[in-house]
Amino acid sequence: MAARRGATVELREVTKRYGDTVAVDHLSLTAPAGRITVLIGPSGCGKTTSLRMVNRLIEPTSGEILIDGQNVLKEDPTQLRRRIGYVIQQVGLFPHRTIGQNVATVPELLGWTATRVRARVDELLSLIGFDPSRMRDRYPAQLSGGERVRERLQNEFLQLQRAQGITVIFVTHDIDEAIKLGDRVAIMRAGKLVQFAPPGELLAKPADEFVARFVGSDRGLKRLALLTVGGADLDPPVDPSRLDGAPVLAPSMTLRDALAEMLASETQVGMVRDGDRYLGVLTLSHIGRLLRTEKPK
Amino acid sequence: MTPGEPLIRWDWLASHVGEIGQRVGEHLELTVIAVAVGFVVAFVLSLVALRIPRLYGPITWTTGILYTIPSLALFALLIPYTGLSLLSAEIGLVSYTLLILIRNIVAGVRGVPAEVRDAARGMGYTDRQILWRVELPLALAVIFAGIRVATITTIGLVTVTALIGQGGMGYFILLGIQLFFSTALIVGALGSVILAVLADGSLVLVQRALTPWTHAR
Repeated sequence: MAARRGATVELREVTKRYGDTVAVDHLSLTAPAGRITVLIGPSGCGKTTSLRMVNRLIEPTSGEILIDGQNVLKEDPTQLRRRIGYVIQQVGLFPHRTIGQNVATVPELLGWTATRVRARVDELLSLIGFDPSRMRDRYPAQLSGGERVRERLQNEFLQLQRAQGITVIFVTHDIDEAIKLGDRVAIMRAGKLVQFAPPGELLAKPADEFVARFVGSDRGLKRLALLTVGGADLDPPVDPSRLDGAPVLAPSMTLRDALAEMLASETQVGMVRDGDRYLGVLTLSHIGRLLRTEKPK
Repeated sequence: MTPGEPLIRWDWLASHVGEIGQRVGEHLELTVIAVAVGFVVAFVLSLVALRIPRLYGPITWTTGILYTIPSLALFALLIPYTGLSLLSAEIGLVSYTLLILIRNIVAGVRGVPAEVRDAARGMGYTDRQILWRVELPLALAVIFAGIRVATITTIGLVTVTALIGQGGMGYFILLGIQLFFSTALIVGALGSVILAVLADGSLVLVQRALTPWTHAR
């Protein structure tokens, strides 16, 4: 779900009850403007319900939901939904509409003229790297390599999101996806927010045993994917001839990739080079120390 | 059948081409009116059933009863009220299409995946737009299956309406029975079958034209 450019989405003490069951329990969180916020937790934790309350597919029992300070519960739900993007992972596209018609859905609902819709469709198709004249009139079933297209669309969408500063909230049960894509991750359990933090902090300092188990006992390794070689302490450069077979690492490389290369080499260390500059030697103990001390970003 | 008479007298066929054409026209007219009116009635009742799910039971129950009344008996029952008229014929024919059409329209719409409906609502479609722009188009294949069955059934049933003087291929069947004349009997029966096959084929073509996404490659 994506709110229009730069909007802050704030949930205040939001509760949803179904009879005696409390699906969402006094949930308060703020999805920062222009950032990606991920809701995650075991099934039945209330993450999807929470998301669907933002565009009023579900009405909260109590509490407030604000987009840029405006209470969405006072808006017409249909108008509200037309200015918030909404995508369902399993569906993505209407099968009976062409790619162009799918893209045109909301502009058409907003009553744009045919020429304006057409121009916008072509602009958006080009933005995600599709040739409009080739793709516009195809049906979703005619897209070849569905999985690759989906992955490509996801990547292109994320670039678009970063470039245009769109606020995104999405739901997943995949912690790796949450860590990879989220600027902030909200972990929920039984309708309550357990921890709301950037991915690095979640991995470094899980709020409790539940979060620690949820992010996985390999959370140390997962954190390495968020840290780069450039952020680690290094041993001073030694003569490269003494490091025969050691991998060459760039400062921009993630520590997880660096570790994999180091483990695969005989020397168990890596030479860090920034172009022509030889910066030093990365060892396993540096990585270990970083994991123990690094303040989460 | 008169002894020595051939199964089909081709000379009779040749001299009755004009009348056969006229009866085919009557047959098609009776069928098209029945399916068209039946579809409109079924469509309205289906929308009611989709809107108010607890009415779906009573609606299918009632149309189900209509469906089980023997056609001969139904036409006989109608004669005191509407006479030997087109109206009598169509009341009967229309009532037989309802059950099939309603079942298929409702099943087609209900068969639209919940996620698709949810995506449409989430993007800001109103309930009416969801029905017309998402649910009905996606239900077309199932709805057309119903129209095809209803059409074939009606083409068969129209032969019975000859009994109340409405012509069609049933006229020849009746003639054949009354005169022990096999040629007319075969023209009536075979004509009705051929009409059904052709109508079904045409409907498949219409359906393909209306649902390009199901077979585009």
